[in-house]
Amino acid sequence: MNPMEQFTVKPAFGLDHPLFLLGGHPIYFTNQAFLMILVVVLSALFLTFAVKPGRLVPTRGQSMAEVSYEFVANMIHSATGEDGLKYFPFVFTLFIFVLASNFFGMIPGSFTVTSQIAVTLALACLVVGLVIVVGFMKHGLGFLKLFVPHAPWYLLILLIPIEVISFLTRPISLSVRLFANMLAGHTMLAVFGGFVVSLGAAGGLISGLAIAPMLLIVAIMLLELLVAFLQAYVFAILTCIYLNEALHLHDHH
Amino acid sequence: MAEGTTSTEEAKGFPPFKTETFPSQFFWLAVTFAFLFVMLWKVAGPRIQGVIASRRGAINSDIAAAQKARGDAENASAAYQTALAGARARANAHAEENRQKLNGEIAKAKAAADAEAQAAMSAAQARIDATQVAARGAVAAAAQEAAIAIVARLTGDTVSNAEAAAAVKES
Repeated sequence: MNPMEQFTVKPAFGLDHPLFLLGGHPIYFTNQAFLMILVVVLSALFLTFAVKPGRLVPTRGQSMAEVSYEFVANMIHSATGEDGLKYFPFVFTLFIFVLASNFFGMIPGSFTVTSQIAVTLALACLVVGLVIVVGFMKHGLGFLKLFVPHAPWYLLILLIPIEVISFLTRPISLSVRLFANMLAGHTMLAVFGGFVVSLGAAGGLISGLAIAPMLLIVAIMLLELLVAFLQAYVFAILTCIYLNEALHLHDHH
Repeated sequence: MAEGTTSTEEAKGFPPFKTETFPSQFFWLAVTFAFLFVMLWKVAGPRIQGVIASRRGAINSDIAAAQKARGDAENASAAYQTALAGARARANAHAEENRQKLNGEIAKAKAAADAEAQAAMSAAQARIDATQVAARGAVAAAAQEAAIAIVARLTGDTVSNAEAAAAVKES
């Protein structure tokens, strides 16, 4: 059993033919597409209908929706201040999308949307693209001051290329962090799952040893649930920090 | 290894790096992310925001009502204190007035009694004066008679009343 097989994007429900061509590329309805649709539809339904207007004493579901809302709102407020709240819908969507994708991926047999570099890189480019657009809209060419730290001129020769490179690598670091975390966790689970199967199939006393990787899987599962939340949080907070730089450049208020 | 995929070619390599799946991934990501964005931006977000705002509003209005009730209670207490002070002042005024009135009556009665006593005293004085005058007359008459009798006994002369009176007056 190949532990990498779970990351294969393949046509789902026997829809082996492309749905249509987009710019010459065939678009399939894949297992990943199914999971993404599930993620966004269920998230949207939950966040919409868990909350009832006028219900001042929340139910558990409403409490969850409100807590996630205020969690993201406070995150933006503390990282960027009042004027960052304009971008709340975007950061909230990003956080919910990544969080729900990570959690749906924890269901055995499902597919982890965020374990695909294409998805995480697209999201990271969206974030950095937004940062660039916001930065130039707010400061014009003054946005380029972001690459010029307060330092003597002879240090700037060194510092400006470093700043430029660190800015340009942001989409990569942001996307690889999420992608690698998800990939590593799920690979580990699959590897230990493989151990359980092969030990169990060995027969005799050796079969009893299968309990060890089994227990390990339970522990890793718990760790992965934490990682699933943590990576969504990291993705969202880094988005806020980048937005803050676009809004306020280097001035530390 | 070849299981579950359409061809053996696809099963090779690291699945996330297979670029032929990227168009489908980008397409579905764009569709689903845009859907979620619009739903959260236009529907779920305002709904949650509304509930949080209405709860905050309810709490604030309750606090405001409680503060108003406290203000009312304080006003009522102040009004009570003022009324009490007013009543006390009126009672004091009444008492003072009564005291003045009584003092006036006492003074009047005392003046009347004084006048009465004064009258009685002057009447008594008049009587004393009259008695004194009468007594003085009686003493003079007695002295006159005694003088006449003394002269008659010593000298045998008879002294007239007028002479005796003059002599008594001289002595």
